Amino acid sequence: MKDMLEARISTGVSGIDDMLCGGLISGRPYVVSGTTGSGKTTLGIQFLHQGVKLGERALLVAVDEPPSEIRENVRALGWDVGKIRILDVHPASKAFNKRVSLVEVAAQRSVGALREMGTGARDEAMKQVMPDISIQSLQLMLKQELQETSYSRVVVDSLTSLKKLAENQADNASSIMSLLRFISESGVTALIITDLPDPAELEPELFLCRGEIRLHRKMVSSRLDRWVTIEKLRGSAHDTLPRPMTISEVGLTVDPDRKIPKNSMRVLQAFTQFAR
Amino acid sequence: MIKDKVKTGVPGLDEMLEGGLIPGRVYAVSGTSGTGKTTLAVQFLLEGVRSGERVLYIALDEPPNEVRQNMRSYGWDIGQVQVFDATPDVMSYDKTPVRDVSTERKVVYFRDLPESVRQTSERSPADMTVNTIQELVRQEMKVRKYSRIVVDSLTSLRYFYIRTSEENASLISFLRLLSDIGVTSLLTVQLPEVSRPDVEIHMARGEIRLHKWYDGRGLIRGITVEKYRGSMHDHRLRMVKISSTGVLVKNAPPEKKIRPGTDQADMSEESPEPEEIPPPPDDAESEKAPAGPPVPDTQGRNEQKPPEAGREGPGGGT
Repeated sequence: MKDMLEARISTGVSGIDDMLCGGLISGRPYVVSGTTGSGKTTLGIQFLHQGVKLGERALLVAVDEPPSEIRENVRALGWDVGKIRILDVHPASKAFNKRVSLVEVAAQRSVGALREMGTGARDEAMKQVMPDISIQSLQLMLKQELQETSYSRVVVDSLTSLKKLAENQADNASSIMSLLRFISESGVTALIITDLPDPAELEPELFLCRGEIRLHRKMVSSRLDRWVTIEKLRGSAHDTLPRPMTISEVGLTVDPDRKIPKNSMRVLQAFTQFAR
Repeated sequence: MIKDKVKTGVPGLDEMLEGGLIPGRVYAVSGTSGTGKTTLAVQFLLEGVRSGERVLYIALDEPPNEVRQNMRSYGWDIGQVQVFDATPDVMSYDKTPVRDVSTERKVVYFRDLPESVRQTSERSPADMTVNTIQELVRQEMKVRKYSRIVVDSLTSLRYFYIRTSEENASLISFLRLLSDIGVTSLLTVQLPEVSRPDVEIHMARGEIRLHKWYDGRGLIRGITVEKYRGSMHDHRLRMVKISSTGVLVKNAPPEKKIRPGTDQADMSEESPEPEEIPPPPDDAESEKAPAGPPVPDTQGRNEQKPPEAGREGPGGGT
């Protein structure tokens, strides 16, 4: 029945959309996980770029890298991403003696379009009041930003860094729950970028998110191999096979019709082997 | 042997459980993310609705309007299921006192939920604790006699609704209440990829565990009955399919093992899956090439990467 189909949101990578049986379900938070260099940020940018192409408002929350670097990296791909708005929460330097309150942080950190960013990593004024960045303060900043501008897509790059930056790590679980709840209530479709989860740990974002796209990057037989899996997708059928991925000058490309090489499959198998 | 067992509504699972679950007891459905815990739990409730019972879904992590929307993808109407939205509010991080929400949030039918997610009250976000939820269940049971309750998920209850120091005591008390009121309940429990059993698993009278892993051909899903007090049960790992009709056990007892290729064609929507437990990696060499477009195998044959230490998958069973 047609009316059962919800609005699907394209990830900007058509192969991944096919794996998701059409794309992400609108207005929900999703996790993109993977090791360093697996293409998580690139996927995030493609997701935002896709939104901009459709005339939507798209916001990048930059924690790991200063926005100027992101802009340069993306320029190397030749994309016009000037319309992606960016919330800079990159902790440029540690200045714990000059901590300001969370509300003040929200007031001081401003959003700029990617093209307006200076080439310097950060302006001087920012350095002088280095605030405490935490999941809580991100929620407050996002709240303020969403009150002013209605975004339909948000990427947080990355939650792992925010978790490590938090002074009181014990509060992380409930802060993450609150952040994801906030995203839900705001109706934005969000990609939350995280490192590959520790298999022995239960990361709250992984059981709270409505889906997880995992990017794999492995040396297999002396050759770098990349593939994508959909670990979870609530409310939709999805591809259960790993699919080969490439990163090139056009960004991520996933071939939803091919299987990954046998040897890569064995590596994946070793990771998830059923052993009891 | 106990008569009148409670049917789970999952094709094949009742056979594994020698007829179903013993009424009035607490059971856990465990598994890593994306294994089908919520789907199985909702099937359990719908089975109750079909036999005219009162059933209750306690939503602790996913907003219930999304659960309803998700279940439509199976073509299920869960409007008759009663739901308590215990999902927490957005935290305001300021000093406003929290309210006791037990007076404000009510159990409703899924059909009466609004289409969109409940919005946190700007002025006074609510605080939900295990005690609030416990009190609500107690009150609700006085008013209407539920025969099935699902708590989705107990993991959220543990993580977000209980202060750490009293974690296990609170959970034990909550589980005790569920068995005292004589309701058959399913608790969903999220496991990390390498599992370590928690107190709720020990407390539950039975544990149904959902598994997923990759073999040489793709994703495999399985189900086991890890424990079942007071009943005989199937000890084998059975293959599971999540299709457009929900969770089903493919090679359920008492039938003999089905050989590959003899599976019915009516469950062919997803990728091909083997019927038997896949061979260990050493035997993978002998696997048949899967159906579908051929993949050029350009890899060298002599340098297969060994499994990394500590990655051997679910370890400690009960």
